[in-house]
Amino acid sequence: MKRLEKLSTLRINPAKTLHFKYKNKNLKGLSGDTVATALYASGIRIFGRSLKYHRPRGLYSLDGESSNTCMQVNGIPNVCAETTLLADGMEVKAQNVAGSPETDLKGFMDKLDWAMPAGFYYRTLHKPARIWPIALKQVRKAAGLGKISAEFQMPGKYDEIYPKADVCVIGGGPAGMSAALAAAENGLRVILLETRPWLGGFFDYRTAQNGAGLSLSQSVRQAAEQLEQNSNVRIFTQTPVVGVYNNNLVTAFQKGCETDYFDERYLEIRATSVVVATGCSERPLLFENNERPGVMQIGCAHRLAQTYGLLPGKQAVFSIGHDLGLEAALDLFDLGLEVLCVADIREDGQDPALIEGLQQRNIPFLRGWVATRAHGNKTLHKVTLATIPGTLRKDFSCDLLVASAGMTPLTGPLSLAQAKLAFEPYTGFFIPRQLPAKIQVAGRLLGLNHPATIEASGRLAGTLAAGDCGVSVESRLKEAREKLNQLPGPDQGSKLVTAPVQGRKTFICFDEDTTVKNVKQALAKGFDATELIKRFTAAGTGPGQGGIPGHNLPLFVAQYHGDIKATAMPTTVRAPLVPTYIATYAGSNHDMCKRTPVHDSQKAAGGVIRRIGVWKRARYFSKDFSCRAEIENVRKNVGLLDASTLGKFRLWGPDALNALQRVYASDMSRITNGKVKYSAMCNDDACIIDDGVVVKRAENDYYFTTSTARAGATVEWIRYHTRYDGWNFHMVNLTDAFGVINMAGPNARKVLAKVTDADVSDDAFPYAAYREFMIKDTIPVRSMRLGFVGELSFELHVPSSYMQALWDLLTEAGKEFGIRHFGLEAQNVLRMEKAHLIIGSESEQRTTLHDVGLGFLWSRDKSEEKTVGAVALRQTENQEARLKLVGFKMEDPSRVPKDGSIIVDNRIRGYVCIARHSFALQEPVGLALVDAPLAGEGTRLQIYEDECNGQHLYATVVPTPFYDPEGKRIRM
Amino acid sequence: MAVEIKRQSPISFPGNPLKTELRGHWTVMQEYEAKGDAPRVIDLSHRIRWDLQDSDIARHRPGGVSIPDTPGRCVFENGVLINRMNRTQASIWHLSGEDLSIPDDPAFTDVTDATVFLALLGKEIFSITEKLTTLDFFDPLKEAPFLLQGPFSHVPCQMVILGNTPEKSAILFTCSRGYAQDMIAAVLEAGAEFELHPAGENAFSDWVNK
Repeated sequence: MKRLEKLSTLRINPAKTLHFKYKNKNLKGLSGDTVATALYASGIRIFGRSLKYHRPRGLYSLDGESSNTCMQVNGIPNVCAETTLLADGMEVKAQNVAGSPETDLKGFMDKLDWAMPAGFYYRTLHKPARIWPIALKQVRKAAGLGKISAEFQMPGKYDEIYPKADVCVIGGGPAGMSAALAAAENGLRVILLETRPWLGGFFDYRTAQNGAGLSLSQSVRQAAEQLEQNSNVRIFTQTPVVGVYNNNLVTAFQKGCETDYFDERYLEIRATSVVVATGCSERPLLFENNERPGVMQIGCAHRLAQTYGLLPGKQAVFSIGHDLGLEAALDLFDLGLEVLCVADIREDGQDPALIEGLQQRNIPFLRGWVATRAHGNKTLHKVTLATIPGTLRKDFSCDLLVASAGMTPLTGPLSLAQAKLAFEPYTGFFIPRQLPAKIQVAGRLLGLNHPATIEASGRLAGTLAAGDCGVSVESRLKEAREKLNQLPGPDQGSKLVTAPVQGRKTFICFDEDTTVKNVKQALAKGFDATELIKRFTAAGTGPGQGGIPGHNLPLFVAQYHGDIKATAMPTTVRAPLVPTYIATYAGSNHDMCKRTPVHDSQKAAGGVIRRIGVWKRARYFSKDFSCRAEIENVRKNVGLLDASTLGKFRLWGPDALNALQRVYASDMSRITNGKVKYSAMCNDDACIIDDGVVVKRAENDYYFTTSTARAGATVEWIRYHTRYDGWNFHMVNLTDAFGVINMAGPNARKVLAKVTDADVSDDAFPYAAYREFMIKDTIPVRSMRLGFVGELSFELHVPSSYMQALWDLLTEAGKEFGIRHFGLEAQNVLRMEKAHLIIGSESEQRTTLHDVGLGFLWSRDKSEEKTVGAVALRQTENQEARLKLVGFKMEDPSRVPKDGSIIVDNRIRGYVCIARHSFALQEPVGLALVDAPLAGEGTRLQIYEDECNGQHLYATVVPTPFYDPEGKRIRM
Repeated sequence: MAVEIKRQSPISFPGNPLKTELRGHWTVMQEYEAKGDAPRVIDLSHRIRWDLQDSDIARHRPGGVSIPDTPGRCVFENGVLINRMNRTQASIWHLSGEDLSIPDDPAFTDVTDATVFLALLGKEIFSITEKLTTLDFFDPLKEAPFLLQGPFSHVPCQMVILGNTPEKSAILFTCSRGYAQDMIAAVLEAGAEFELHPAGENAFSDWVNK
């Protein structure tokens, strides 16, 4: 198609051609084109086929109100061609076609509408029952637009930003721009969001005069330049808003252009005040075949010409209900379109100057007439017009029908913000009657139409928003209100909902192929509320998010009930207001996890790293996941474990001991200098939540450890349980400040002695002792003699920056003693052999201290009210029907049950917490939580394992620890 | 084989520094290749940091500097930055000059090794930070330097805005040392479009001196 040239309103760059592919043909568009306008310029009129009836669908609007132009672009399905800017090299395909859009093999479905009444899949195909599974497959096959494979990888770069604003203005039309400017003039930070690639809204393409010697297009572009230079205003174009939430959280996404770093960027804006100036879209005119390619809305036809230089047709009929239609008819006539007739559904109320313009151009003008049928098999060939009552008819052969029933306000953001919308009879709009705090509205969505009024309402809203932000605006507010009051108010809206037709092919929702007849069927079935009809007919549930039926459906239903004023209620709007890629929501998706100070060296040493909670840890050091070599080396020689993830805390102050007494089960006053005290924390239900050791480093100054999993919650836990006491104590989380090396094995002392001058003999540094000394006179360590893995062990706490150096020193010093690393799995087996438990592995949220055999830790001498869980500890001490932790050995030594396998008889009696082959014992052993009656020594346990096919495993309860029950090895 | 005792920063930047200095047992990266006005990220993890907690916090004057009265306020004097965190707590960061030895008072805890310590310099750093946090660095009610505590790339951080004008934009922040590698990866990825690049400690010293 030849483009219109030298129009001042054009947004395309004729000097820059872009190439793209469609149906294996190389086509051309221009920079500034959308995919849809480029296709239209290339002569494409049918963009795809409809969901249910496979009816041909074409360009109807330009803002993505329906799925008519959803296409596959660069492999991505359901891309809205109307709102996607053309880029060089794009590959575009039609969707939902069997064959081609022009010749669709499933086009016959259109003749079967009688077989698919409203809600047919709820009512038919269910009897006999055996039919439904077959029918279900067919319905599912037919449902949905576009295809995507499970292997599809979303191309592109997705990003996110979280900007702050005092005022966020939604809508970059004349009202939004005025609001933004008014707020910015008060020194506020303003964010302006606009869906289209430029500011200007419905002024941008209009050549009508603004009354000050400029066209609306010129005036709004000047204003846009002024706004762009205002440093207080951040403008985001191509940025549809998708959600508005409590406390003015506005979410949106920005589509990137060639020069942007991202393909799409998610925005989450927290604003003090929000101005909604989203304007209007057009309310579709309901008549037979109202979605036939060749039928389009006023703005679509007008913008095709003025913005993209494309004359939308050759011979046109207009059937409209708003002065914008008359203006477009005149403008397009002047650009070369043959306008055969303009039918206005309004009997009166038109701008006389526009009527005069029609007369000057000899364009026939019919008041109170409306299109009743579009003719043509695939595209439009003829239009039938009729009087509103349907008494007279006229036919016109044409290739373009510009059709619109009037305007409809875009109130989506207001609905999401919980504004109360009500039907306003004069404008025919659903208008906000009650606004949430710090939400303002402006512009056309209030029914305003006069350019000066729209701008003045924006200025008033921007000033009100500034007031929301605490700026003193009384005088400006008065001025803005006075100016607005002097200007024309809202225009009367057209009342017609549907042309005089039966409605069999009158589509109220294009996305779901819902006709007026379908809505009548739903009403006849007793679905009298719009929300119910929406669900029964699926109207408004497609990708257009209710853009086409959102206004007409409630009006039609209210009209059916005979009282529009009383019963018209808009349907509920939900986010996202505009279809959004999941990839956009995912953004750059930084996976934040923690690494220990020796992470890299463990990895280099063959460590197999696994994500465990927030940490990445070395689980194995070979491909033998039984870890036999690592385990046996700890038992025979010496091993190094990175235990840096343990929680580590300093707690001090005059009331430090009180705080410890409160949260630990034991009597913490018994901590002696130079000794380690092991204890546990319970919750109020006496369930064990943590264990660890505490040392006293100075008077009222303690250092304690927690399990890895509890480290993040410990400070809050202690603060919470001391919140009413007014105690004077302080805490510092030192989890990351210290790395921890657990050096364990009979040779551990020999290795340690090589790197320190401190006396580490058993006499000087016995089991359960705590010492602080220097390594190589440089590295300060806090060391504990512990025995978690059942061998002579030194737990060395070292400043994290020195951790790698100490790790290397010990590795070097231990070479002659056969030192090697061991990972979490080896530790797991080693500690299991000693029946040392890990909270969360051998306990769960209902497991008490007594259940796991640690009741001895509880000090009864402390006042009950002083210790968290003490009351419940007393109550549960002898409680029956509890799960108890037991050790077991397998009857069949060749089988190790999986962790989590259940213990059964005729019901579930417990589960296996952990079971492994013990290389020390040469047989499988494990720990299980079982019903108390099964906890007696010698009890036979029946184990049901996943996929065991009825072949149960059997084990016997045995005493623990399995290994070194006298504890001689940890006291070496 | 003799093992050299070194203190290690939790992060390592891609590329090699042009100049380093051995300080204490730290290898301090002093200079990287300059890349014009593009924003820079600097590892200051070797700089001493203390935690101060006391119910009578006002009695302390670390480095001769008074603790700010109001939580969220900071003071930078004598090379020491003091950030008031809450009613009883402040963090103390030694940004320049000789490191002070920790006062002999139980109220102080050396937390140098608990966190990674980074500086972001350059006029586009706030375009980078808004990709990673909802914290408001331009709150008109706050005058630099000020402290924000909250999530940065989903990780709890202390962030001090030293300057938030285009001519003098700088942020210092700390987070748990374990997150260091992922944090720097997130920051560098967010800053890639602005050519964010590593710089040495000298760049920060220059900024402070200016």
